[in-house]
Parts: sequence; structure tokens; C-alpha cells
Amino acid sequence: MITLKRDRRLQGAVVVCAALLLVPLAVHDTFYLRVLTEAIMWIGLALAFDALAGYTGYLNFGHQAFFGIGAYTTAVLMMKSGWPFFLAVAAGGVAAAIGALIIGLPTLRLRGTYFAIATWALARAIQQLALVTNLVGGPGGIRLTAYLNPVYFFYVMLGVVAAIFFVLWFLLERAPFGLKLKAIREDQDSAKALGLNPTLLKNLAFILSAVPTALIGGVFAYWITYIDPGSTLGDLVSDQALVMVIFGGMGTLIGPAIGAVLIFGFKTLFWTYLAAYEVLYTIVLGGVIALTVVFLPNGVLGLFYRSRRGRNAPSLLRPKTGMPEPSGKEA
Amino acid sequence: MAEPILRVERVSKAFGGLTAVNDVSFEMNRGEILGLIGPNGAGKTTLFNVISGYYRPTHGRVFFNGRDISHKPPYYLAARGIGRTFQVVKPFAGLTVLENITIASFLKHPRRAQAEAHAWKVLEFTGLADRAKIQAASLTLAGRKRLEISKALALEPTFLLLDEVVAGLNPTEADRTIELILKVRDQGITILIVEHIMRVIMGISDRLVVLNFGMKIAEGSPAQVAADPGVIKAYLGEEQE
Repeated sequence: MITLKRDRRLQGAVVVCAALLLVPLAVHDTFYLRVLTEAIMWIGLALAFDALAGYTGYLNFGHQAFFGIGAYTTAVLMMKSGWPFFLAVAAGGVAAAIGALIIGLPTLRLRGTYFAIATWALARAIQQLALVTNLVGGPGGIRLTAYLNPVYFFYVMLGVVAAIFFVLWFLLERAPFGLKLKAIREDQDSAKALGLNPTLLKNLAFILSAVPTALIGGVFAYWITYIDPGSTLGDLVSDQALVMVIFGGMGTLIGPAIGAVLIFGFKTLFWTYLAAYEVLYTIVLGGVIALTVVFLPNGVLGLFYRSRRGRNAPSLLRPKTGMPEPSGKEA
Repeated sequence: MAEPILRVERVSKAFGGLTAVNDVSFEMNRGEILGLIGPNGAGKTTLFNVISGYYRPTHGRVFFNGRDISHKPPYYLAARGIGRTFQVVKPFAGLTVLENITIASFLKHPRRAQAEAHAWKVLEFTGLADRAKIQAASLTLAGRKRLEISKALALEPTFLLLDEVVAGLNPTEADRTIELILKVRDQGITILIVEHIMRVIMGISDRLVVLNFGMKIAEGSPAQVAADPGVIKAYLGEEQE
């Protein structure tokens, strides 16, 4: 039953990807193509965020560090060493994997709250480092040779994000790996008794979250042609990804995609029609997150679940206070 | 005599100034059920945690199949054949019963389909098959205790540590769990069990080890231990003159 359902959703994802392939044939307006490209980018960032947050329960408030590492590695290799675009993006992914290990090995031994604080602080440090490093242009950032071809970047972004989706789908929903991560999320001590090494698995999940983020960052750099510490290493990347994941439905792969489309759509409308009130955007974002936690603990996807299956899944957002002891003895 | 499956050698575990387990030694033979008893706070669960790798002993060593395992992490011991349950049950609450057992089955069956097939077998064995698709969170206490045992069994262990799997159950459920434990023993699995309920522990144990204030005060058959004046004193206190 469940397998069938998952298969159907996978088929749905394939159909959506195929439909998106046709978009540039119908949409010729550069602005709309750009909006769609960015929407796809946010789907990818939300998915990568959820690979760690939703499946292991560790919130990475320094997610932007990997986006920045990808963007900067790509930019530096292309501009200073003349590397071809795809190779430079791949190198960004490798750099992020190494970065994830350096950050993850000491911090993923900590419990979730401390991990969130540590990653937030480390990302801040990396942003400061970029500001004072001449190789990466300091506060001025790096300008890349412009390649003004919106259709090309639409397809590159779509290809990268689709690849990320299907790889994550396979590893997290099909292979034993995803279930093992969920075991750690649910109860680390119990997982250990079952032969799982939590530190190892969490680090693998961290890499699985960091590498896609960096790949997207690399594509972003070449597409936008100008990067600086504010745009690629700023808090907004992780904050928005977090809101998208929670709003859409944490611990799934469909939820973050839905959340990304809805939140990014809202953001685009807001910034297009209410540009004068731009400052209100983050306030609204905060409101959305608060309301979601209270009223939609399983996100938008949770609404769907409840009505379809009558199943009330426990929320990942609610603190775990251990199992309530049942009063009745036998059901 | 054959080499003991487990040898606990002068193990102590201190938390700051509190010595929870103090210089305890005993051995276990293959295929036996050893009951570990003692009043509240005697150090039974602490000793369990030392044997299963959750605590490192302050002094002493634990040997499993002749190998020193005193400083090995729990997941290493699970791979060596040691399964355990937790006194405070630890189900993966957000996952289904089947998923809970499947995760444990990955140890011996790395592929998902095989692990799931094995999980079904374990569920049939422990009598949880009819509840396979429900969330672990919605199991009753009896169900959760059974799930704990099922998870440990899915590891296909040679040695099982059961921490109060009967306590809190009504008499019918308790009898069913005892039946299950004996069925597990008949498969050749060695069992170390902590239990408060004397009726249970006296009935199923081949031998008993009694702890009091972290120290071993008696060891022997249930009949011997029940007649031991030191044990009676620990449980009932001393008669006033």
C-alpha cells in the first residue's frame, strides 16, 4: 500500500519534471523564466535542508555556509583559474563535502540544540572570513563573466535540482539509509542498541545536505553573475529554507517542494507589488512559521495526509518528552 | 566446562561520589537464563548499561565470548550479537511497528526487502504481526514492551539483556511475555534478565545474582538465593530485638 503510494508520488515528480522541460517553449518572458528558475532553486535548497533537518532532526542554521562555499568555489575557479563551469560547480560540491565533515565531526556529536547554535556561529564566522579575504573580493564580492542565457540556466537549474530530488528520494525513501536516519531522529539510544552508529550516519546525512546546496550555489553564482558575502553567505538562505521545510512538511521530500513553491511565490508577489514594504517580508515569514507550528504541525502536506488517510502523524516540531505512559493496560 | 559467554570481572561504576556498581563479578553459561535482582537502586540497570556498552566501567572488565568488550560502543556490541531492551521503553514513536523492526533487521539483512521480510517473521514470532502497520506511538504499554523485545530479537542476537520487560503488565500479559522469553531461550539465546516481580524471576531463571547497594550479595539457584539470610535481610530488613 505505502509502496504503491510512494511510487505514485514518484511518478508525479517525474511528470512535473517533464512538464517543466517544456516551460521555456511556452514562456519567453525573461522575468518569468527567471522567477521559475529561482523557484526551482529554492525547491532544491529546501530539499537539501530537509535531508538533514527532517530525517535526523538536526536543524542546520548555517545552511547558507554551503551555499556560499559552492558559489565562491565556482566563482574563484572560473574567474581565477579558468575552469569550465560544470567542473567548477562539481569542485564546489567536493569543497562542501569536506567542509561538512570538518564542521560535522565535532558538532554532530552534540544534541540538536547545540548543533543549531554551533552551525549558526560557524556560518557567521565563514561570512566574516569572506569579508576579509582578498582572494574572494572581500565585501566587494566577485563578478563573473556574464552568460546571459535564461533558458540555459533554467535547464541547468532544473537538471541539478531534479537530480538532487531523485538521489535524495532513492537514498532517503527507498534505501535503508533513510529509515536508519529516522531511527536516530526518533531515539538515538535505541538506534545505537540496534547496531547503528549515530555519529557516522549523521555525518553522512550532513554531507548529503551540504553537497546539493553547494551545487545549487555554484549554478546560482554563474547565473546571477555577481556574488558577495551578503547574498550567498547571509542568514536568509537558511531562514527561508527552514520556513519552506516547516511550512511544507518536514521529514518528507514532497513537503519541502510544496513549501518552497508557496513561500517563494508569496515572496515574489510581495516583492513585486509591495516593494515599498520589503522590510515586512521577514516579519511575515516569522508569523508564518509561528502559525504553522501551532496550527499545521505537519505542514501543508500534513493537511493532505490527515484528510486522506485519517492518520495523525506525530509532529517533528513538537518537543519529544518521551512516551506518555498509557493509562489503560490493554487495547 | 565450556567458556562462559559472558564474564563480568570486578566491575565498578561510579557517578561522581556515588558508586552505583561496586566490584561485581559473575559468569554466564551459554543458553541459560540468569536473573539479576535486588532492591530499588541496587545498580541493576547501571550494570546492564555497562554490559551493553552505554557506560564505561570505572574499574573492571566485561568479556563476551572471551573478548574484552568493556570499552566498546553499543552499536559494536549489537553487531557482535548482544541485544538489549530498555526499562523505559524506547520505541521509534513516529514510525510504524514494522519500520521499527525493519531497522533492527538491517544489521543482518542489509537490503530493505529482506529486512522487511525478516521483520515480518519476528512480528509473527512475538505476536505483533496484527499491529505491524500502526504507529509505535499508539501501542499500549504491553505492546511497547513487546516491541522492545521484538527489536532486540530482530538483531538475531546470541545474548539478550532484558530490563524489566514484565513489570507493569497485567497477569495475562505477563504470562504471555514469560512464554515468549522461554521460547527465545529454547532457540539457544542466552538471557540476562532484570525483573522486580519475584514470581516471574524465580520461575524462569536458572540462576540468580543478587545486588544490594551496588554489591553482589548472593548467587545461586532460585531456591538457594531465596533461603539466603543476607538476601532476606536486604529485602525485608532486620528483625528488631
